[in-house]
Amino acid sequence: MTSSANGSALIEIKDLHKGYGPNIQVLKGLNIEMMPGDRVVVIGPSGGGKSTLLRVVMGLEQIQGGEVRFGGKPYIRADGRKTIIDNDVRKQIGMVFQHYTLFPHLSIMENLILAPRKVHGESRASARERGAKILERFGLGNKADAYPSQLSGGQKQRVAIARALMLDPKLMLFDEVTSALDPELVAEVEQVILNLAGQGMPMMMVTHDMWFAKNVASRVIFCASGVVVEDGPPEQVLGNPREERTREFINRVFHIRA
Amino acid sequence: MEYQLDIGAVTRNMGPLFQGLWITLQLTLAANAIGIVAGFALALLTTSKPAVLRWPAMLFVEFFRCTPAIVQIVWFFYCVPMIFNVFWGPIFMGIVALGLNLTAFNAEAYRASIQAVPREHLDAGIALGLSPTQRILNIVLPQALRNSVPVLLTNGIGIFQQSALVAIVGVADLMYQGKTLATATYRPIETFTVVALMYFAISYPVGQFVNWLERRQSYT
Ligand SMILES: Nc1ncnc2c1ncn2[C@@H]1O[C@H](COP(=O)(O)OP(=O)(O)O)[C@@H](O)[C@H]1O
Ligand SMILES: [Mg+2]
Repeated sequence: MTSSANGSALIEIKDLHKGYGPNIQVLKGLNIEMMPGDRVVVIGPSGGGKSTLLRVVMGLEQIQGGEVRFGGKPYIRADGRKTIIDNDVRKQIGMVFQHYTLFPHLSIMENLILAPRKVHGESRASARERGAKILERFGLGNKADAYPSQLSGGQKQRVAIARALMLDPKLMLFDEVTSALDPELVAEVEQVILNLAGQGMPMMMVTHDMWFAKNVASRVIFCASGVVVEDGPPEQVLGNPREERTREFINRVFHIRA
Repeated sequence: MEYQLDIGAVTRNMGPLFQGLWITLQLTLAANAIGIVAGFALALLTTSKPAVLRWPAMLFVEFFRCTPAIVQIVWFFYCVPMIFNVFWGPIFMGIVALGLNLTAFNAEAYRASIQAVPREHLDAGIALGLSPTQRILNIVLPQALRNSVPVLLTNGIGIFQQSALVAIVGVADLMYQGKTLATATYRPIETFTVVALMYFAISYPVGQFVNWLERRQSYT
């Protein structure tokens, strides 16, 4: 359906092979093409390689075969035993993790301005001004001088999103960012992501939350055994899957909550 | 004849004990200065990639961890002058011997706290575009240094106590002055009790401070 000759793709993942050591093959020839307007939700069985996929796209992992292109340009490719990653491309991608990754020795504001200052050489004053605005927008205006240990899990994840947005990413990756949270804190984080989606931020994410997936996704990809099993609009993949394996998974995992 | 306690025999002669304590404190502070700085450098070597740097550093650490401190001190006092033909004053020798021992133990403390920085923080650093050096300076070291403070203090107070060993090679520290006084007054019980209390009076508050620090850090 999609033509890989289309130069306007934001991310093209071609025949991606990734393992951990010689005996653990996780991604076995994975192909995904993501358009600039896409909000891709990746679903699939636990241990199926969803985190690995996002980590590869973030440039955190060595790969054993295939390539990833970004905005039509080479980004990551396997070259013999080495992995070549274009750092300038990597800087256009932001990621929020399942685990809390705010730096505990820095205040919230210092967490936000660290990378803009060190990576982009932005002045402290200018970075702080942008940081204050973004915290305000996220309802965290009074937390600038707090430390991560003083925040709830939901607040920490919202700050982590804000920290990534400080760098004006062209693509955001979210790996189960609410699964470590108490249930009552999930909605505030999902709402922030939904707002971003509404503003047209391209994103690729992993979630187990059916309601959220339905509301945020423009496309859902079901990954299992290291390959893409089904790829389509949420109504299809979540509502009326074509593939038997997808149907089985959806019935088993999602219909309990939906 | 019953032994009659006479604490006055000691309290009338506190002068030499305080002189000894002063020497002990000098040994402790100087050894800690060495241990805190050199221990950090050694930890960077033991966590570095090139084997030519890592192996000698690890050997150094293991040597000091796997031999008794008293053997290290005696060896240092007798062998270093003979092998290297250098003759330093006993206090300086004591400082270097204790300092090297502390360096090894502090290197382990630093190494453990460097490795305790969560992997995910480094991933986040990469995702934020920070270079390897920036990640070490801004993410790893600030956390590692802060986490290592309680162990550094514990090691430091340990060396305060271990420093009593240099008395046997003739450094006039608190222990040495205690032995001299006990012999001169025939009052070993009173003398060594007072000496022990003097070590305790300094170690205990520091130990309590470390406990407080650890409790405070576990909340953050
Ligand atoms: N750093 C690693 N070292 C070795 N194996 C790993 C590592 N990370 C993940 N794996 C393995 O790779 C497989 C895929 O993991 P992951 O990508 O986390 O799956 P998912 O996010 O879909 O649950 C699992 O079998 C996991 O045990
Ligand atoms: Mg995962």
